[in-house]
Amino acid sequence: MIENPCILTDVTKCIGCEQCVVACKKINDLPADGAPPRPGSTPDGLSADRWTTVIRKPDNHFVRKQCRHCLEPACVSVCPVGAMQKTPEGPVIYDKKICLGCRYCMLGCPYGIPHYQWDSATPSVRKCILCYPSLKSGKIDKPACVASCPTQATIFGTRGEMLAEAKKRLRAEPSKYIQKIWGENQVGGTSVFYVSDISLDFLAWGDGRELSDKPLPPLTWAALKAVPFEFLGMGVLMGSLYWIIERRRKLMDEKAAAVTAGEDTHGQ
Amino acid sequence: MDNRRLFLFKGLMWILAGLAAAVAIVRFSLGLGVSTALSDTTPWGLWIGFDVMGGVALAAGGFVMAAVVHIFHRERYHAAARPAILTAFLGYGAVAVGLLFDLGLPWNIWHATIYWNIHSALFEVAWCVMLYLTVLALEVTPTILERTPFQRTYRFFVKLALPIMILGIMLSTLHQSSLGTMLLIMPFRVHPLWYSHLLPELFFVSAICLGIVMVMVESTVTSWLYKREPEMEMLAGLARLASIALACYFVMKMGDLLRQGKLAMVFDGSWLANLFIAEMLLSTVIPMVLLALPAVRRSFTGMWLLACCSVLGFVLDRINASGLSQVWATRRFYFPAWTEFAISLGIVAACVLVFFFIQERFPVDPHGLEEVEAERKAREAALPAFAPFAQVWLGEGWRKAAKVYSFLFVLALAFGLTVAPKAQPAVNTPAVRAVGASILQIGPGPRYVYFDHKKHQDEAGGPKSCALCHHLHQKGDVGTPCVVCHGNMFLPTSIFNHETHVADLHGNASCAQCHGKGEPIRVTPTKKCSQCHDKDMMAANPVVKTFDSKWAPSYKDAMHKMCIPCHVEKAKDAALKLPNLGRCGACHNSGTQSEKAYRAEFPVQTAAPGRP
Repeated sequence: MIENPCILTDVTKCIGCEQCVVACKKINDLPADGAPPRPGSTPDGLSADRWTTVIRKPDNHFVRKQCRHCLEPACVSVCPVGAMQKTPEGPVIYDKKICLGCRYCMLGCPYGIPHYQWDSATPSVRKCILCYPSLKSGKIDKPACVASCPTQATIFGTRGEMLAEAKKRLRAEPSKYIQKIWGENQVGGTSVFYVSDISLDFLAWGDGRELSDKPLPPLTWAALKAVPFEFLGMGVLMGSLYWIIERRRKLMDEKAAAVTAGEDTHGQ
Repeated sequence: MDNRRLFLFKGLMWILAGLAAAVAIVRFSLGLGVSTALSDTTPWGLWIGFDVMGGVALAAGGFVMAAVVHIFHRERYHAAARPAILTAFLGYGAVAVGLLFDLGLPWNIWHATIYWNIHSALFEVAWCVMLYLTVLALEVTPTILERTPFQRTYRFFVKLALPIMILGIMLSTLHQSSLGTMLLIMPFRVHPLWYSHLLPELFFVSAICLGIVMVMVESTVTSWLYKREPEMEMLAGLARLASIALACYFVMKMGDLLRQGKLAMVFDGSWLANLFIAEMLLSTVIPMVLLALPAVRRSFTGMWLLACCSVLGFVLDRINASGLSQVWATRRFYFPAWTEFAISLGIVAACVLVFFFIQERFPVDPHGLEEVEAERKAREAALPAFAPFAQVWLGEGWRKAAKVYSFLFVLALAFGLTVAPKAQPAVNTPAVRAVGASILQIGPGPRYVYFDHKKHQDEAGGPKSCALCHHLHQKGDVGTPCVVCHGNMFLPTSIFNHETHVADLHGNASCAQCHGKGEPIRVTPTKKCSQCHDKDMMAANPVVKTFDSKWAPSYKDAMHKMCIPCHVEKAKDAALKLPNLGRCGACHNSGTQSEKAYRAEFPVQTAAPGRP
């Protein structure tokens, strides 16, 4: 398996045929989309049984949504037990055997990718795993969605190759594309790039605003790394306060006793 | 029962517990989908916002009072320390139980002990809560042991008390603030008015405030329920403390907003900004100002009301930060299902009942204890026989009360089971969702095509043609497999229904209409389909009418939908001089790249001979 596998999706080339969706369902053995989406969920088509989807936008624009396999994934960082894992090669995968079902990963993901099996009594979190097991075993040389794309709207390679290709396309047709590679730097960089002629900021939460280029896990770590010091500091503070207050009380008691004793002597 | 007030209150608690028990059965047998209004967009709801985030904060009274009484030696609050620590113990128990309801795989909760991810704020919270629950159990133990024969054990625990109290404060500092840390990773979800890098600190300080006002609420409510003289001096002292703590919180919060330049956002009139104002008024501003007035601190009702107001405000803060404010980003509103409320209230009710149980039997509250002792002595004096269990542990008149309580519990349980949501019927076949058509699964794998029944019916000869598909090869309502007519979905259809054509063209006399006079009758028609079906083969036929479906249509459908409208449009453009661009033959001649590729991929089946 190649290092830093990466997908480049060119929105201008996608015809919305959803062959990628079918291929994804096939290779991951996902069932038919059964129940309608839960009320109150974002109607982008993703579900626990549909790991990639094509969002239809005005004027025949089709945007494929899938896990971005961030370089510093927030879902991995927030998982208390490490059920979400960043593999050494790059794809972010999930281990149900470890998972508690806290769903923190679903909140931590800036793109709203992990989905839950709400109708199951033993639910898992599910999302695109970049065909990791099949790629690793060498059964396939590129993810099923990429292999099935009839127009090469979505292509596969190393992160460096894809970045070079994206830049090449932006340079070759500057009037066609918005001069931006979505995923190049967002949240510290992702392994799924998009080039497009429409803005793709809607793929992330946050009211359509652009995501910051800063990775997310350090936001938590800045507070968490202080934990041992806070813990011990509080202990030392409380211990010393107790000691000081006790000592003052003792001294005051002694003083009071001395005064009483003095009065007693005086009285005699 | 002589105390009607207490009796009614406990009855209500038993009803809530019964209702929650019914919902619990549904929750664990059918899963979260049926029992909550949660969705992939709002994966955390009331159970996290109120039970966990709120619960931990509400139980902050334990560590605050431990510090005030045992570290700072404010002896006048001594009466409040034991109830506060007991409440904290029960509160954390409630958090743990609430978490079991919320976790998708609750039986894996112990995994946090062996699988470590130190980068997760939730991992730290999990450990702290686990340890603190143990610490609280140790803190509660002396209360339980004090009046028992196990005096040596009791003295051991009393000696242990101080280090244990300090450990409890250390752990509380960590996880109270870590609940705020948990929100730090989602600046894209939490509304800017709540999001701040100081969230951990703000959560810690607000937990201290909440701890104090919560102790006030407990103390006032218990004295009302048990008809005891309220400890006005202690309450007034707590009120003063609360006012100071709230002022610190207020300054911190406003300073933080000022630092981030978000102060103007508070007054921008959006509903979230107004929610923020409401939260700040309830939790902080109103109690802070009014509790600073000596006149208010002399009024029992005033202090009770303001403490409740503040508690409400802080719980709202936790709910806002961990959920409601995120509507800003997700644009999807979530309102908890009644089942979620039932569980939350039921857990609180169960805690209250356990609190009463312990309070009435163990020296939790010095005043309560005098009553308990007096009652016990009176009972013992009245008793000729030796029956320690029933008389001491279950209390006077327990039989009558227990009957009423169990009746209420069972009634609520039965009612709950009747009205609880049932399992949704499993959807076996893809639902009919596309307008006027359905999605058929083809093959054993997850592969679908768009199936337009009306079109098939129309083309096969109207209502009389049902049998062509439905009773030809299969019984009942099972359809004929697509492949009988459509040998290869990727090619222009290979269907040619000779019978239909013969029938439609008036029987045997019609042969020559297609096959030509004098020519041998062969499979290959002498007339091309398009010569009659000019309209059908064009762009705007029913196959390519646009449809909007979440399902995967066939590749053919997608190509048709994508290409044809534009081709038709371009064909009309005289300047291009491509009048045939809109016809099928423009793409479907045998020479195109794509068709060659398909033929290579599907060598067995070819288009019907003679077709364009």
